[in-house]
Amino acid sequence: MSEAAILTEGLSKSFGAQAAVSELSLKIQSGAVYGFLGRNGAGKTTTMRMLLGLVRPTKGSARVLGLDPTKEPELLRILERVGFVPQRKQLYGWATPAELVRMNKAYYPRWSDDAAAGLAKRLEIPMNMAFKKLSIGNQSKVALLLALAQGAEVLILDEPTAGLDPVMVDEILRTLIEDHISQGRTIFVSSHHLGEVEQICDWVGILEEGRLLLESRLEEIRQEFRLVIASGEGLPVAASPDLVSATTDGRFRRYVVAREAERFAAELRGHGATILEVSPLGLRELFLHLVRKEDSCTPGNAGAKAAPVSSFS
Amino acid sequence: MLLHLNPSSGVPVYLQLEAQVKQAVAAGALRTGEALPSTRKLAAELRINPNTVARAYQDLERDGVTRSVPGGGTFVADGLPGLLKSEKVKRLRPHARQLAVEGRQLRLTREETVKLLEEELDKLGGQA
Repeated sequence: MSEAAILTEGLSKSFGAQAAVSELSLKIQSGAVYGFLGRNGAGKTTTMRMLLGLVRPTKGSARVLGLDPTKEPELLRILERVGFVPQRKQLYGWATPAELVRMNKAYYPRWSDDAAAGLAKRLEIPMNMAFKKLSIGNQSKVALLLALAQGAEVLILDEPTAGLDPVMVDEILRTLIEDHISQGRTIFVSSHHLGEVEQICDWVGILEEGRLLLESRLEEIRQEFRLVIASGEGLPVAASPDLVSATTDGRFRRYVVAREAERFAAELRGHGATILEVSPLGLRELFLHLVRKEDSCTPGNAGAKAAPVSSFS
Repeated sequence: MLLHLNPSSGVPVYLQLEAQVKQAVAAGALRTGEALPSTRKLAAELRINPNTVARAYQDLERDGVTRSVPGGGTFVADGLPGLLKSEKVKRLRPHARQLAVEGRQLRLTREETVKLLEEELDKLGGQA
């Protein structure tokens, strides 16, 4: 289980002067369900495309199942073992799902006809209608069917539930859990639906402007991360490696602390602050605190762990 | 067994599961020897990560609420025989502290807080 399914080191991609992904170091353990979060344009899709050899990194390295996607022979082995559901499904529009199944199976040594037939039935996919005529929900299901029937060890899903109705989302989550996660297989999924991420993921990474703000087990966020709200004049705070973000809101300061929140609060009290609240925070709150810019005084990213804030006052 | 989750409650999902199983056992809705659904089945049913269910099941077993048969599932245990009184007290103390703190913060009197607890015990019925 300690072997990494996906590992990147200093992975970077620039399009001209525009940096899409900067110095990204991710570690997705085998068997993890890893939620990759970030606002639109944060660099999630570009990262996924680099892992699949669709975009060449400007700098840094990536390994998928120990293989290097920038080397052609290794890339072919990655594509055999990794299923990708892109956000924009670019499958042959004229082909029916049944035809797509026939076209795809030739490429994958571990393809399972039984799995494909089972999924088609369970997900109620109209298998004989042209792909382009299917609803967005059915198109998503077809893409998922192809990835699952391929017997992929790792699924890379780019916003798989975007634009789907709640019943559809529910079916897809169930399918992912039953047919993939329960077998101890890995998922790397980007999503804006933080509720779903909280349900099925056990790891999250938060990306902002191409940089990783945070990578943590979800459980650790629940158990250790706290929101500390304090008020006081010009709070002088010593550098704390546990501080994830600090924002000012009128007379109040909101701190997100990665661990030992009580000690942090005691320190603030020592400086004359009044502590109004020390409370756990959900993924949604954490996400908003980290990426919302207008009132943030967090100096960006500092790598794969909770970014330490060196000084602010 | 009817387990349900409240994702917006702020309580970790595995703790919600544990609490519901414990409550079902305490209220007699789950009887000794009765089987709990498999990790995989419950995870799929509730649309949650199987590790979350596994975590709850591990805790329940550690607490003596259930026992698992290797390769054969998880069953409701018969009582809590192996647990020392001091250990039980130790486990309950954080909850008692929480109750005391919340009661004080809400400015309830000592009697009112104690009465609340007694009422909840009464609701469970059974032993004195």
